[in-house]
Amino acid sequence: MIAIVAKLIARRLLAAVPILLVVSALLFCILRLLPVDPAAMSLPPNATIEEIEAKRHEMGLDRPLPEQYLIWLNDALHGDFGRSIQFRREAGSLVAATLPVTIELATAAMVLAGIFGVSGGLLLFHLRGTLLEPVADLASILLLSIPEFLWGLILLFVFGVLLQALPFTGQVAPDLPLPHVTGFLLLDALLVGRFDVFLSACQHLILPVFALGLAFSPTIMRVLRSSLFDVYHEDYIQQARLRGLSEQRILLKHALKNASLPTLTLAGVQFGILFSGTLLIEVIYSFPGMGNLMVDAVRNADLPLIQAIGLTYCIVVLVINTVVDSLYVVLNPKLRVR
Amino acid sequence: MSGPVSRSLRSARVLIALGMILCIGICALFAGWIAPHDPGDQNLLSILTPPAWAAGGDPSYPLGTDGLGRCILSRLIYGARTAMLVAFFASFGAMIIGSVLAHISGYFGGVVDWIIGRMVDVWMSFPPVILSLILMVGLGVGLSKVILAIILVDWTRFCRVLRSEVLIVTRHDYVAAVRLLGFTHWQTIVREVLPATLPLLITLVSIEMAIAVVVEAILSFVGLGVGSDQPAWGQMIADARQSVYQSPWNLLLPILGIFLTVTAFNLLGDGLRRTLDVRFSETGR
Repeated sequence: MIAIVAKLIARRLLAAVPILLVVSALLFCILRLLPVDPAAMSLPPNATIEEIEAKRHEMGLDRPLPEQYLIWLNDALHGDFGRSIQFRREAGSLVAATLPVTIELATAAMVLAGIFGVSGGLLLFHLRGTLLEPVADLASILLLSIPEFLWGLILLFVFGVLLQALPFTGQVAPDLPLPHVTGFLLLDALLVGRFDVFLSACQHLILPVFALGLAFSPTIMRVLRSSLFDVYHEDYIQQARLRGLSEQRILLKHALKNASLPTLTLAGVQFGILFSGTLLIEVIYSFPGMGNLMVDAVRNADLPLIQAIGLTYCIVVLVINTVVDSLYVVLNPKLRVR
Repeated sequence: MSGPVSRSLRSARVLIALGMILCIGICALFAGWIAPHDPGDQNLLSILTPPAWAAGGDPSYPLGTDGLGRCILSRLIYGARTAMLVAFFASFGAMIIGSVLAHISGYFGGVVDWIIGRMVDVWMSFPPVILSLILMVGLGVGLSKVILAIILVDWTRFCRVLRSEVLIVTRHDYVAAVRLLGFTHWQTIVREVLPATLPLLITLVSIEMAIAVVVEAILSFVGLGVGSDQPAWGQMIADARQSVYQSPWNLLLPILGIFLTVTAFNLLGDGLRRTLDVRFSETGR
């Protein structure tokens, strides 16, 4: 079974390679059309025209665009994404240092969004036909209208500024050290046995994770509810009722299992969006993740870094979508033949 | 059988949403008359004053001032203008590109469909926030640039959803019938296919408006939006973060502005979907 899933995922990832190539070419073109000159930017302001020309030649900027792209692609395939202009470091190593932070944040948020989404969806479905249904329905639309960055600001204001109950800047309290083993802070803190760091990191995660979780759960809620409605039209629900099963058992054992399929597909798409949604949350909570780095790079027109981060986001989203697609095939017996 | 327009107007959701949009729209349209001050006017003698009803408030600044002594109420009203302009132009632009491609793709099928489909795939593998940020780097800041960036990012939403609808409609017998009657492809699409996909199109536009307001706020918040000379809610939030302890109102009011506008468009979309979508009304939901 695991071998089949692995094969499936591998095959789908392979199918995503052409898309990735086009995406990288597109990214390259957009950024090369900019009215900024990376060569001039990487030299001190008093550099002469000749020096800039020499730098342009050294960076390969005087060659035709397709050739530039192939050189960049070749380097990128060898793990070299060029040097960041503002940080004067390898763009690849900057991305590698910040990616775990973003993955940790996004994963925790997705788990929370899943918990809120499923319990909210079950509650919405449970309230069907009651007087509370329109109220709950309206509440879910209102929730849908608060994007993650507004949740981020609201939570920061209420729990950080007003109640001063939770920290809201950075990953960990400023007086604590940042252990570095894998790059995943929670894991690293446990690995080096610093429970105070672990606790502080958890506290710092609460607000950003809730902001993302609250923003992404309403969609899951609404899809789960409507799939439950669809499932309840099926004959086997009637039959289960005739067999004398309790409503709770029918809902949790029979209906939820089938209704979870469309919900899972949606959750996969949501995870992709959530992953890029961490960008603003990282800016608001000063989290040293990839999103914060991206905004920094964009503000300073740091082309190599923008390219590296943009591509990383696309790869992560493609991988997430591929894995969810494969999971869908595994969970849906109708698609399992072959 | 009542018409779709009168049916929509009897829906409480649609009416409430239209009322809210009308209020925000009037603020946006008549900003010059309604706003008590010029939104860019700085009064460095009264910075961060609280709203007029709070202790220390100044009645000439009903909602107080920001860190540069600019009138919050005026900036909110002019910010509504920015948000509404972006919402309307960006969603109509994205709608036009997306729906034209969707109709071509779904109606003709074959190679055209394949090419457009792959284009959408490539586009959608960019996370929207990332793509719009990258585009803004390329385009530079400004209101028209924000609108263009949103159009370039969001046409895919229309294209993908509408294409499958066009595919279904095109298979109906009445479409084949008008072809047999001698309608050209153009006539068939405009007179037979488009009216059938229109309800979905309208619903998508109103949802897209909500998305455009959020994207504009995000871009302005990051500092890559409409530019510093034009008031925008996202920018007000970014400014207010610096002084959140002294004057929380500066942060809360633009958040409220974004929330109300987005809610109005989402509510409109939801109400229209319920009243216009035939499948929806058949199942009684």
